[in-house]
Amino acid sequence: MTTGSGFLGRNFVAKLAIVAVMVLALLFVLFPVYWMIITSLKLPREIFRVPSLWPQVFTQSNYRSLIEDKDFLIAIRNSFIVASSVTLISLVVASLAAYSMVRFHYRFKGLIGRLILFAYLTPTSLLFIPLSILIARLQLGNTLHGLILVYLTFSLPVSTWMLQAYFAAVPRELEEQGMIDGLTRLGALFRIVLPLSAPGLAAVAIFTFTGAWNELLLALVLITSESRRTAPLALNYLITSDVLPWGPLMAGAVLSSLPLMLLYFVAQRFVVQGMTAGSVKG
Amino acid sequence: MRQQRSAAGEPRLSADAQQQLFAYCLVLPVALLLVGLVGYPLFYAIYVSFTNLVVGGAGDWVGLANFRYLAGSPVFSSAVWNTIVLVLVSDGLKLAIGLGLALIVNERIPARGVFRSLLMLPWAMPAFVAFLTWRVLYQPIGGGINLVLTKTGLYPEIVDWLGQRSTAMPAVIVASVWRGFPFWFISILAALQNISTELYEAARIDGANAWQRFRAVTWPGIKRVVVITTLLSSIWTANSFESVWLLTQGGPSDATMVFPVLAYFGMQTQRIGEAAAVSVALLPALLVLVFVTTSLMQSDED
Repeated sequence: MTTGSGFLGRNFVAKLAIVAVMVLALLFVLFPVYWMIITSLKLPREIFRVPSLWPQVFTQSNYRSLIEDKDFLIAIRNSFIVASSVTLISLVVASLAAYSMVRFHYRFKGLIGRLILFAYLTPTSLLFIPLSILIARLQLGNTLHGLILVYLTFSLPVSTWMLQAYFAAVPRELEEQGMIDGLTRLGALFRIVLPLSAPGLAAVAIFTFTGAWNELLLALVLITSESRRTAPLALNYLITSDVLPWGPLMAGAVLSSLPLMLLYFVAQRFVVQGMTAGSVKG
Repeated sequence: MRQQRSAAGEPRLSADAQQQLFAYCLVLPVALLLVGLVGYPLFYAIYVSFTNLVVGGAGDWVGLANFRYLAGSPVFSSAVWNTIVLVLVSDGLKLAIGLGLALIVNERIPARGVFRSLLMLPWAMPAFVAFLTWRVLYQPIGGGINLVLTKTGLYPEIVDWLGQRSTAMPAVIVASVWRGFPFWFISILAALQNISTELYEAARIDGANAWQRFRAVTWPGIKRVVVITTLLSSIWTANSFESVWLLTQGGPSDATMVFPVLAYFGMQTQRIGEAAAVSVALLPALLVLVFVTTSLMQSDED
């Protein structure tokens, strides 16, 4: 990390301008988050009648109505089941593929690599119609299994792509040494490459989990029964109803972002590394 | 296993062939899943877009009829136009803000680490949470933006940002910039941190001013990242469903209608052929973007 290299120079006016921009940027970034949190803590009558920057009364009623009337914890649980299954499956399957592509030379390797990138960039908006037909044919419509299966369409390519970058950084000699000491190829992968790529695995796990946690379009198309809704789906149906439940909606927003925010702030270093290693190399 | 079998008299595989087989086995699950879940559906979507498939019925080949129908439909034209505007304006703004802030954070500034973490916040939030929050922010009643504008006197009247044609698209763009700029910021920052300080010193000794230093040192160092990020982000923006769906559902009167939302509506009306044609219509442009991006990213690998 280089600090203060700068093309900007060091004069006073420039510094003042920088501080002003920083303040504006922070306001822009933080105000929506602030508004989400205080709206979730305001009484409905206050939201609609006395707009203010600070609640007159703090209330948990939005959270209570969301959890008790709308069964939101079931949606959170469904999201957890789907996102962790997708993460687990992707990590295992993508590790094998990424290892193969980094360590061996064979025909079609370039082609497979290109297909993985293509798949990574193929948007869900193009796939949701045929996928919903496919899932219906597989009798997996309206199930969490079906959702897990289709989420692999975006989690596998990005995981494989990112893991390749991490595995390539593990020195071949370490593996060879391990294999002389009696490890098999798979043993070398599990005992040497994976542990050394732990930060990469963490980053990939976070990305995959986030992707599955956030997905709305496929869930909207595939899930029809209320008890199988994921968190984004449950909140989506809150706004398409006639009443405008801003309080409970923002309570749901806070509850759905908490797990991810925690994950990010604990593992921020890995996330930033992974982001730059996987999608765009610096 | 293979060695035992060869001991039983089968022709023995060479060590090299064994290794090849092993390599293929490892990559096979991903290859199969992607062929089944991405490749096949993609071609199936293209096929369906040439049929009149409806839910619960068999589709017949109708040639270009769906596309001809779309070409004559005003909703489709707005979707094309809006998608272009959304991609150009919001990605332009994301670049400007991301680049500007990355340059600042790369300087010797106070509270740099904290500032950087806070700027990442919108990206750490789930997209659906971000857009639902902006939906509330834009409300005439209960929305934070109207409150701030009227309280500070910047704009005295309450505006229904998402409810009128003139402000709906700008509102969608602002929300999408908010959520999207951190990705640009962090990618560009990483590239900036790889530029050696000595280059700046040398330029300074040569008497280069700030703009000249940017052109000669900074830009060459980040150009590649900026190009790839532009391509990636354009693909994502052109296909983002959540932003428009959760903010406006394409309204008011199609002022913010974009491809993915139109395709979703098409599916809800059960006319699968037409819905597929909507997303397939975007495919040629998308393929060009994807092809250029994958080439760049793959050449980056070595």
